Amino acid sequence: MSEPGGAAASPGSGDGRVVVDLRGIRKEFPGVVACDGANLTVRAGTIHALLGENGAGKTSLVNVLGGVYLPDAGEIWVHGQQRQFHSPADAIAAGIGMVHQEFRLVPTLTVFENVVLGSAPRYLNMGQIIERVAHLAATYSLQTDPSRPVWQLSVGERQRVEILKALWRDADVLVMDEPTAVLTPAEAADLGLTLRSMADRGRSVVYISHKLDEVLSVCDEATVLRNGVTVAQPRSLAGIDRSDLAEMMVGEAATQIQRPAERPSGDIVLELSGVSALSDRGLPALHSVDIDVRAGEIIGVAGVSGNGQRELAEAIAGLRPTTAGTMLLAGVDITGASPRSRSRAGLAYVPEDRLGMGLAPAMSVVDNAVVRSYRSMRRRMMLDLRRCEEFCRRLVERFDVQAGRIHEPVGALSGGNLQRLLLGRELTGEPKMLVAAQPTRGLDVAGIAAIQEQIVAQRAAGVGVLLISEDLDELLALSDRLIVMYEGQVAALMDPTQVTRAEVGAAMAGSTSTVSGGNS
Amino acid sequence: MTDPGAAPEPTHAPLHTVSRGRARWHRGLVRPVLQRRADVVPAAQAVAFVIGIVVALIAGALLLLAAGNDPAQVYGRMVDSSLGGINSISRTLLRATPLALAGLAVAVAGSMGLWNIGAEGQMMAGATVAAGFAMSAGDLPGPLLIVMMLIAGAVGGVILMVGPALARAYLGVSEIITTLMLVEVSIRVVEWLETGPWKDPESQGFALIEPLPDQASLPGLFGRAHIGALFAVALLVAFWLAVSRTAWGYELRMAGSSPATARYAGISLQRKVLAALLLSGGLAGLAGAIELTGTATRLDPGLSNGYGFAGIIVAALALMRPSGVAAVAFVFGAVQVGGQSIQTLGVTSSIATILQAMILIGALVAAVLLNYRVRWVRPVGHPAEETAPPAGPAPGGAPPSGGSSNPEASGV
Repeated sequence: MSEPGGAAASPGSGDGRVVVDLRGIRKEFPGVVACDGANLTVRAGTIHALLGENGAGKTSLVNVLGGVYLPDAGEIWVHGQQRQFHSPADAIAAGIGMVHQEFRLVPTLTVFENVVLGSAPRYLNMGQIIERVAHLAATYSLQTDPSRPVWQLSVGERQRVEILKALWRDADVLVMDEPTAVLTPAEAADLGLTLRSMADRGRSVVYISHKLDEVLSVCDEATVLRNGVTVAQPRSLAGIDRSDLAEMMVGEAATQIQRPAERPSGDIVLELSGVSALSDRGLPALHSVDIDVRAGEIIGVAGVSGNGQRELAEAIAGLRPTTAGTMLLAGVDITGASPRSRSRAGLAYVPEDRLGMGLAPAMSVVDNAVVRSYRSMRRRMMLDLRRCEEFCRRLVERFDVQAGRIHEPVGALSGGNLQRLLLGRELTGEPKMLVAAQPTRGLDVAGIAAIQEQIVAQRAAGVGVLLISEDLDELLALSDRLIVMYEGQVAALMDPTQVTRAEVGAAMAGSTSTVSGGNS
Repeated sequence: MTDPGAAPEPTHAPLHTVSRGRARWHRGLVRPVLQRRADVVPAAQAVAFVIGIVVALIAGALLLLAAGNDPAQVYGRMVDSSLGGINSISRTLLRATPLALAGLAVAVAGSMGLWNIGAEGQMMAGATVAAGFAMSAGDLPGPLLIVMMLIAGAVGGVILMVGPALARAYLGVSEIITTLMLVEVSIRVVEWLETGPWKDPESQGFALIEPLPDQASLPGLFGRAHIGALFAVALLVAFWLAVSRTAWGYELRMAGSSPATARYAGISLQRKVLAALLLSGGLAGLAGAIELTGTATRLDPGLSNGYGFAGIIVAALALMRPSGVAAVAFVFGAVQVGGQSIQTLGVTSSIATILQAMILIGALVAAVLLNYRVRWVRPVGHPAEETAPPAGPAPGGAPPSGGSSNPEASGV
């Protein structure tokens, strides 16, 4: 649609006019910098791919565009005007429509009711509204029956309703966050046609995906994010192939720390046999997992998130009860042991949720430093505060934590410092086994290097390490052996020196190339 | 902290939406946005507390003027009656003591993120058990009897809290509801005792409980204050030490501040919940027994006098900190004494109560606002010239009749 009061956009794709321009966006969450220096330039009549690995900041960036998050820094320009979106409503008013991964529809209402909800024209009767919705749907080849209740619809149909909602509100720019993740291949093809017809009418689409083939076939331009920074903005995808895109997304692995080549031959420190556990919702999340970790060995755990990695880490840490199987730590049965006795037996655990579980954000650096050791800092009934402070100072110094004052809340520290503090605390007791879940996620380059260095140092010191990560390059560089989790099971055990990213990726996807539906 | 009330600017006229004609005056207006602060300095809290009270006093002055009273005279009397001289201060202390003890009881639970709303009931239960003990062992010597009564009071408070504490720790039943409901139970029990089992045979038909033995009354401190004030201070200090200097307190703080971290550290949340709630109940029960032995000659259903509920306000204003509880309880006590005394100046009791409420609201609002800073935001992209004569067909210069798409209709 055209700009109100301004010159109409010429139909047809790619007239070069910039519709959306995000400049230098920074968005920080407690402990994690999601975006820092992210740019996105979307032209009228184009389908623009937003690419990046997990945690690269794609979703955060589009949430800034959609008014869900207020950016900490950076500028949002829409139609050549700088804007500030304080709510999604502001963004919608500016012509930005979003289709989130989880749909936001009222199941008991019909398709047209959902589409016009809150913005029904008062001068029309219901029949006329239905007619308009149907007309709008037909214009963009969105097959749907306006009078059907939404609860009866398939996932693909619901997505079409979401698109219709955005079109009804006259969105110039439609943002779709991993739209094909929930679609069958045929539905994905239909979606491609719809998006193309929108682009042909002068609208723009921001298309988030990690499926490179799909991006190459659907999209006109691309923006590639890596660690929250825009690293490439090809104006045209013609002449670019999969591996080029993959390289832009991943960057060079050269900066990665590499484990030494020699093979570990220590005793087994952690042995899981037939371990099963339930998810938070009470559904089976781990099925009969067998893992053994030797002293001085890093076992990498790969997998698309939600395939049991978190449950695995929590089961080992004693935070999640197991329903079957046994766990031995250095030969001692720890199945059913409390988190504290596991910790005493030599288990260190860096949880995925570093601020919230690993560290208590509102408590001071000192309080957080002594989480594992405060019981040994008692003098009769009292806690020996001087010893706690001394312990904390040593920890901060040894692991290079940039903490302003040690009595300030830990939540004020940056992500890298939080992780150094957490990892340092866990390593202070000279553990036999380290379980680290996503230890480098969301950190900057220096932070990542520091954490990886520590992990490799632990390996050298004879600690067994279970490294759960979504960063394949990290896993390939650091692991002695690589496990791939799929639907709560160990789907593959690989030698990182012998496999390619693609092979690991195939195992992560369950070794089948078809799109698995319903896994949102 | 965005402003949900502000409608979007109608710069982009949606074809299918209808004008609501609203939000036009927002254009170009600077609007306040509240942003949460990361840290608040305790000293700033005290300052905000005072500012809040001053603002409330100014508003109260207007109210007094409207009601035909002289604010200067009324405020003068309030200060004089509550703080002017040993006797006045003793009256304030008399009030502040149960407020501080109840506030401490609420703060103990509050430091773990739990709300003991029923301190009023536990005070009553404590007083009841203490009175029962005095009646059955009335021939004990004074000091021993008082000590035993105080212990009995704490036991009474714990007994009333056992149910809510177990339900909260093991079943996740909200302690807010259970403790509140038991307030009614404990007061009715005293009413029943008053008309039945414990009825004073010499009361000649009046519903009165037997008087306490003469030796069951707390020694005085000065003026009307009794040594319960010293107990309150000692308990506040003990609680401060326990929370900030012991491993137990560390675990309590950890469990309250970040339950997941506590679990991760191997701290049993359930045991901490039990400990915090039972301790809270015990302290409230003790407050009841102190009030009984300090101020009353016999148990009656009005003994707790709203102190338990006021304790919630005291603890909340003090941000669950022991030092804050002492300060707030003293101020609160002074306001109560002052509010009562100004009735002799012809200020009606309802105005006096409103005045008390305003002072507390002022302090509360100040304490909350202190957690935020106000940022004045000028909507970007809607420069002031939009309100000036039209500057050509600028993009975004849509006619206001284009209306705003309804914020509730957000498709996200």
